[in-house]
Amino acid sequence: MKILVIVRQTPDTEAKITSNSAGNGIESNELKWILNPFDEFAVEEAVKLKENNGAEVVILGVGPDRTIEAIRTALAMGGDSAIHIKDESFGEMDSYALAKVISSKIKEIGDVDLILSGKKWIDEESGQVAVQIAEELNIPQATIASKVDVDEGAKTIKVQSEIEGGQRIVELSFPALVTCERGLNEPRYASLPGIMKAKKKPLEEVAIDAINLEELGLTKEGLGSAGSRYKVDNIEIPVINRSLNILKGSGSDVVEGGEVQKAAEDLAKLLREEAKII
Amino acid sequence: MSEIWVLVDTTAEGTVRNVTYEVLTAAVKLKEKNSATVAAVYVGENAGSIESDLSKFGAEKIYKVESPALKDFNPAAYAAAFSEVIKKHSPDIILGGNTLHNQDFLPRVASKTSAGLIFDAVDLDISSSSTLQIKRYRYSGKSISGMTFHDVKPMIATVRPNTFKATENSASGEVVTENPEVATEDNIKILETKLVPKDRPELTEADKIVSGGRGMANGDNFKLIYDVADSIGAGAGASRAAVDSGYVPYEMQVGQTGKVVAPNLYVAVGISGSVQHYAGMGSSKVIVAINKDPDAPIFQKCDYGICGDLFEVLPALTEEFKKLS
Repeated sequence: MKILVIVRQTPDTEAKITSNSAGNGIESNELKWILNPFDEFAVEEAVKLKENNGAEVVILGVGPDRTIEAIRTALAMGGDSAIHIKDESFGEMDSYALAKVISSKIKEIGDVDLILSGKKWIDEESGQVAVQIAEELNIPQATIASKVDVDEGAKTIKVQSEIEGGQRIVELSFPALVTCERGLNEPRYASLPGIMKAKKKPLEEVAIDAINLEELGLTKEGLGSAGSRYKVDNIEIPVINRSLNILKGSGSDVVEGGEVQKAAEDLAKLLREEAKII
Repeated sequence: MSEIWVLVDTTAEGTVRNVTYEVLTAAVKLKEKNSATVAAVYVGENAGSIESDLSKFGAEKIYKVESPALKDFNPAAYAAAFSEVIKKHSPDIILGGNTLHNQDFLPRVASKTSAGLIFDAVDLDISSSSTLQIKRYRYSGKSISGMTFHDVKPMIATVRPNTFKATENSASGEVVTENPEVATEDNIKILETKLVPKDRPELTEADKIVSGGRGMANGDNFKLIYDVADSIGAGAGASRAAVDSGYVPYEMQVGQTGKVVAPNLYVAVGISGSVQHYAGMGSSKVIVAINKDPDAPIFQKCDYGICGDLFEVLPALTEEFKKLS
């Protein structure tokens, strides 16, 4: 069984985001970057399947040079080899173009049984690229998986997915694509020996020039750079500007004794009369 | 004449979800800019008689895209059926709620129709060159991006629930039925659908949410959260700390690695107010904090607050909310 895990490098969840000088992107130099947290569940699941059933795990990451760190993390967790599709301009590609580029590489590999990724990228707040890859490859998908069960003989995977108001269980025939949710597993830490080994694992670097964007229909007139169907005009950093009307106690800051009921009454009144919300 | 399509989201019982009316309201507003026809589009096995509800909120046309092959939700089959109808009628703009259902098949539609696709818009407009402009949060609520589509058709966007207030706006609601041929593939089998009856509104669509954090101390104490929530018809959520401590299940988690919510009222109880939590609820209209630590960061990010012991404040608040109802 060959499993391909698509990984993304995202800013750390603690990172403070500021806009760049052009005002149309983020200032990325000072940021700490991590493997997208939801992709960790995908890598872990692939490595578990490898340990239990035997499989080859290929990591595929798209992005500028620094993306290699996220790819190495995935290799250190147990991936066997990796593909890094490189170009600084990938940040400007939209999901349509990215899915075309990634799918063309997957088609070239040819014999992938299962494609895993996180349910969303926490930078773009979206999981649309994975589903577009499933469409480009004409294979079935199940998203937001909280449980999976592979039957290697039958070449199928059973997936429990989140849907509006509940869950559903589907069975996909290979090749198939599954996006992973928190709770699917407990991702292991990349161990020190794992990190050392990762540096020696096979890595294929693909330059954007090696991919024929024209052939993929991505260079039509009227489109943005790299075939994007939209462009980012500007980025604003929302300023937290709230009214900070805090009800405090008379003695200390904390409301106590009889003040509690009074504070609750005042809050309810404010929410009704001032905020007009209940 | 150009058309703006609004995808109809329905519940398991077949009634139209409120987010559909919100998006219809947004489409009616956009139409002032480009004089397009606003159409609601149902894709599924059988629409039933939803036209009166949809026309009430501004649907001038209602496409019923129906096929027996769409009985179960197979994203590829839904995308195939919808894409065929898109190719036939060439709408300029397609909008829908940012629901799991739409997120599961619209990317396929975008690839099939070479469309642009943006999820989770919180603002919509038409540019001077007649393309769709949207605003959306990126980097987990830490930035808002203004984005403009290039000259592609269709332009597809999903809209964050609770962003637009559904407003009635009566329109003719002419029904057009389409029965596309849907080739069914046997590479996906739906084995089981488990709908969990919910006592409270779903977090992503709730108008009000009451959430508990580490300060709740254990799972049983969440009863106090549920009591407040039920007194105002709110959904119940939790911080990552409460989920990681095992008090409540992950599906209740609000934040960067949980659900992103945008209710009119968000009450954070015993939640310190980390960057990650705020990233998931910072676009709420009114934020209330209840915490006994006067230095908790949440008190710098809220509209109202009570500095006090949540075990005393919550029962008092439930009582006061009940008095108001």
